[in-house]
Amino acid sequence: MVSRTRRTAVLVGNPNVGKSVLFKNLTDRYVTVSNYPGTTVEIVQAKARFNGHEVTVIDTPGINDLAARSEDARVTHDVLTQQEDATLVQVADAKNLRRALLLTLQLAELKRPTVLVLNMFDELQERGGKIDTEKLTEILGVPVVTTVAPRNEGTDELIAKFAEARPPHESWLAAEPADEYRGNRARLAQVNDILAETYTMSQPSRPSLRVRLGFWAMHPVKGLGFLAFAVLAVFWVVGLFGAGTMVDLLDVGVFRHRVTPAAIGVVDAVLPFPHVHDVETIPISVGLPLSPVHELGIVTLERNVIVPMYTVTAGANLSPLQQVFRFVHDLLVGEYGTVTMALSYALAIVLPIVTTFFFIFGILEDSGYFSRMAIMMNRVFRLMGLNGKAVLPMILGLGCDTMATMTTRILDTRKERIITTMLLALAIPCSAQLGVLLALMAALSPFGAVLWIGIVVGVILMVGWLTSRLFPGETSEFILEIPPIRLPRLGNVMAKTLGRLNWYLKEVIPIFVVGTAVLFLLDTTHLLEGIARLGEPLVTGWLGLPGETTNAFLVGFMRRDFGAVYILDAAIGPNPLLTPHQIFVAMVTITLFMPCFANFLMIAKEHGLRVAWSMAGFIFPFAFLVGGALNHFGKWLPI
Amino acid sequence: MAAYLRCPLCGFEFERVDTLCAHGCPLGGSCNFVRCPSCQYEFPPELRKISWLTRLFGKTAVEQPLLPEEIRPLKELKRGERARVVCLGRDNGSRHNSLAVFGLTPEAEITLIQHIPSCVVQVGETELAIDPEIADEILVEPLDA
Repeated sequence: MVSRTRRTAVLVGNPNVGKSVLFKNLTDRYVTVSNYPGTTVEIVQAKARFNGHEVTVIDTPGINDLAARSEDARVTHDVLTQQEDATLVQVADAKNLRRALLLTLQLAELKRPTVLVLNMFDELQERGGKIDTEKLTEILGVPVVTTVAPRNEGTDELIAKFAEARPPHESWLAAEPADEYRGNRARLAQVNDILAETYTMSQPSRPSLRVRLGFWAMHPVKGLGFLAFAVLAVFWVVGLFGAGTMVDLLDVGVFRHRVTPAAIGVVDAVLPFPHVHDVETIPISVGLPLSPVHELGIVTLERNVIVPMYTVTAGANLSPLQQVFRFVHDLLVGEYGTVTMALSYALAIVLPIVTTFFFIFGILEDSGYFSRMAIMMNRVFRLMGLNGKAVLPMILGLGCDTMATMTTRILDTRKERIITTMLLALAIPCSAQLGVLLALMAALSPFGAVLWIGIVVGVILMVGWLTSRLFPGETSEFILEIPPIRLPRLGNVMAKTLGRLNWYLKEVIPIFVVGTAVLFLLDTTHLLEGIARLGEPLVTGWLGLPGETTNAFLVGFMRRDFGAVYILDAAIGPNPLLTPHQIFVAMVTITLFMPCFANFLMIAKEHGLRVAWSMAGFIFPFAFLVGGALNHFGKWLPI
Repeated sequence: MAAYLRCPLCGFEFERVDTLCAHGCPLGGSCNFVRCPSCQYEFPPELRKISWLTRLFGKTAVEQPLLPEEIRPLKELKRGERARVVCLGRDNGSRHNSLAVFGLTPEAEITLIQHIPSCVVQVGETELAIDPEIADEILVEPLDA
């Protein structure tokens, strides 16, 4: 009877106790794992074999309380209600037995077969704690297993004990509680009795280095030092190494030196028409960056290569077939070609930046630093009607705003989700755009670069403050559990980076390819010029930019980083079209555009089409407003 | 966009469409109360036109309770000091419960870690960061080492 009915196992437990790692151990399927409460926002399920029986394992978002209040807790609540005959595998942080048992007593009221897993048993022992598991089994009436999930210890024992799962002893509460809070207080009193019999803790005289590091990271003074160090580390890895060295290597070294000429050669051979490609000397220098202007040179070399620009042989008349060849040639390897623009942009410029960003984000996430950062930032965020918890989506937005919009689900109220979504869409540049903006910044003075950061931060604060005042609803109170500082495991960081990259590339490469094709069509049919002429007064009159840059803003409606690439084209080179002041105005305007079409769709998915349209309706005029104001009132600035 | 409301009693957030009363109520369309789907409390939804002006310029009042000796607000505790929680502050069921699930209840023993930039207390093996406003309302009785 026992094993026949047990077809489903639901992993439940407090947030950040390692349910997802255990899930991976049980099913060999990777789900995103981190040292931050609220990593799992959706349920994930997979099949596994326990002692020859097929079992569906379901991973759920962490809950502290069965009563469903936040969106992710509701997900767990729904799973428990729908899976009536499931066996519960309650995962507990062995260090935090009190809170786990509170949940156990709540789960006991569901009368389901349960196994209690005491995970992170190593951390408990490290801190001098002991748990009498046999006594605990006796008191609760359910099998108790100890595990260390990242090292895959105890998984076999869990599988063995799974068949022995029983409903816990009932009747923990003397009477039906009047409300949730009183019920939980009564349960906690019970839990304290259980703990007195099973749990001992001998405090070490001196806290370990990791514990002290954890304290320092949220200290008012030392914490600022940590914050500065973290920001510098991110800047070095993403801004200098990713956007500098790696982009040089891939964009120039791989694409412009090898892939583009080879692709042009192949297309020319297959689709011949009389034309000659220009040849340019493209230098490449790869070095290890030391500061924004110094680097340790490693390789410098030059190659003469063919580029997409070409001239049709003089006097040659193209036959209709050759016209078609030329069209396809331009679509693939022309100036707006799929290979020469979309793929080289996606793979050589965006990919290295996003990869380095996700990598260092994963490290910070697993170290447990983000919760401490939330503490440091809480007061600033309160000004914007948010609390410290919003720090995670805001920073993830520097990687990909669309992905970050999805993560806003970890926030507690609708008001906070809306404000965060809005700020992400308005002013947090994603890594694709950051790469281009960093290149643009090279054309400005250091003051201009600092002013750009100041304006973006100012816009975030001001718009956040206004939205928080005008939008109805409440900001939730800041109550955040701080996970211990841990040394990130390289394997997990890599797996997570790859998972996010996979998502990103699937989401983004089609948009790049389609977007470039649309641009190409608009360009060949001269429609782009036509539309551009309509928008020209706004760009030339209000923003004070040359009419040629209208294209940039037009393209920016689709992807703001594409728009930034156009501005970059006009800003660098031997005879730049733009003055530093104009570059600055254009930069600020395009930074404040909506990130991309995918972001718009994600906002519509999360909050409804109406919210998405109202955000777009605010963001684009606002971007032009700020840009124009800078143009008219900022001429005196030494940019 | 659906209208979102927040129950003043239990703090539950819900959509206005979720609150429709049962069919056949004699008050019918002339009743402008909404009912919280979580706690069944009935209340008039706030009037929007006034409320966003109030939100922009309004201020919230602060009240200061009188305390017996020995008992102090959490914010007066020093770093590293241990204390027993006496009371979690004004009756606010949802906040009390969110603190309780982390083990922070009356009678719990806590260690204060820091006040600035946010208040951090240790309850058992849980380190919990809370808003200074919440810390102001929690009353504790310091324990001598």
